[in-house]
Amino acid sequence: MNYALYIASALGAVALLMMMPRHRPTPRALGGLLGAMVLGGLWLFLARFLPDDWGLPGQGGAVMAYYYIFSAIAIIAAVRVITHTRPVYAALWFVMVVLATSGLFLLLWAQFMALAMVIIYGGAILVTYVFVIMLATQSGYAAGPALSTTAGATDDSADYDRVAWEPVAAIATGFVLLAVLLTVAFPLPGRPGLEPNAEAAMVSDTDLRANVLTNRPSDRLALQVEDGAGLAAIEAAEGRGEQVSNIERVGLDLFESHPLGLELAGVILLVSLVGAVVISRQRVDDGEAREAGDAAEGRG
Amino acid sequence: MDAPISNIALAHFLLTGAVLFCLGIVGFLTRRNLIIMFLCTEMMFQGVVISLVAFSRFHLNVTGQTFVIFVLTIAAAEAALALGLVVLLFRHKRTLDAHAWTALRG
Repeated sequence: MNYALYIASALGAVALLMMMPRHRPTPRALGGLLGAMVLGGLWLFLARFLPDDWGLPGQGGAVMAYYYIFSAIAIIAAVRVITHTRPVYAALWFVMVVLATSGLFLLLWAQFMALAMVIIYGGAILVTYVFVIMLATQSGYAAGPALSTTAGATDDSADYDRVAWEPVAAIATGFVLLAVLLTVAFPLPGRPGLEPNAEAAMVSDTDLRANVLTNRPSDRLALQVEDGAGLAAIEAAEGRGEQVSNIERVGLDLFESHPLGLELAGVILLVSLVGAVVISRQRVDDGEAREAGDAAEGRG
Repeated sequence: MDAPISNIALAHFLLTGAVLFCLGIVGFLTRRNLIIMFLCTEMMFQGVVISLVAFSRFHLNVTGQTFVIFVLTIAAAEAALALGLVVLLFRHKRTLDAHAWTALRG
């Protein structure tokens, strides 16, 4: 089983090498085909080890099908991020990676994190990236008529975007690490696999509701309605009854078990806010920086 | 609602996370555009985050998802700082090429 993982890593490295942008034309389509075959072959090989219920009790094989779809989207988009020669398109493909990751989160019962990823990553961080890409585009290149050509024509992008730097060494590094990670991740036939930590498992919904969540709005509402029929109606209307939602669990864990981490996160955000202001405050208007920029431009 | 996923199903999710992480490393090493380099670090975050949530589901413990919130915090702080730095560097040399700053090697 180890050998399959090693071979898949090596073939994947070759496929990625074919897709890397270089000076001369690259067999990009061939590389993409080889990469897809490697990924599909690896999944077919690994699917043989899945148990009858696909390893996801109570959810069935449909979830695993969604896993393959989202995973394929994420990996293809990630490859496009690192091989695309135009920064704006790379950022857009990264949005695709984020969306596929959110899909995987939904399969793993992490609904709140899936939405938070879309809003924070896809909404806030990526918009900042695209904004900076547009701010920091080279003058002359942005205004040039070549920008109106299709995405296939890469001639208008800057030289440092068109040529990968030392692709062989970098890909060797990355895929040796990948082979090691895969060997560790997959439970070998002769080695005992990972077992779920039963002691760390989450408290049952009933306990949580009785002992911790005693003051939820829905519960208070239920107390105001005296007769049992009203309470049943409320619970039926909310459709969750005894269940505790994912966002309530995450919030409880965050505020009960990690209060120090929460404070530190706030401090880090404040420090980075101050740092960003200090860095970009920069002498925009005093002329000195502009002269230096002009001098550098004149030299180049 | 209380059955953990199996070893192999967990390993599938770890595979996706590992592939994203390694693609991020390769991108960080090969690309010379400063903005794309930072984008690749964000992609490495994505790989780690998938592993965290998969382990959270495997152990039936939401702490993994709580850590994702912290990862998001760090990613946001890093994006703000790194992009401010990129804009600053761009103002100096009018290029995003990382090789324009090889003088920092000393």
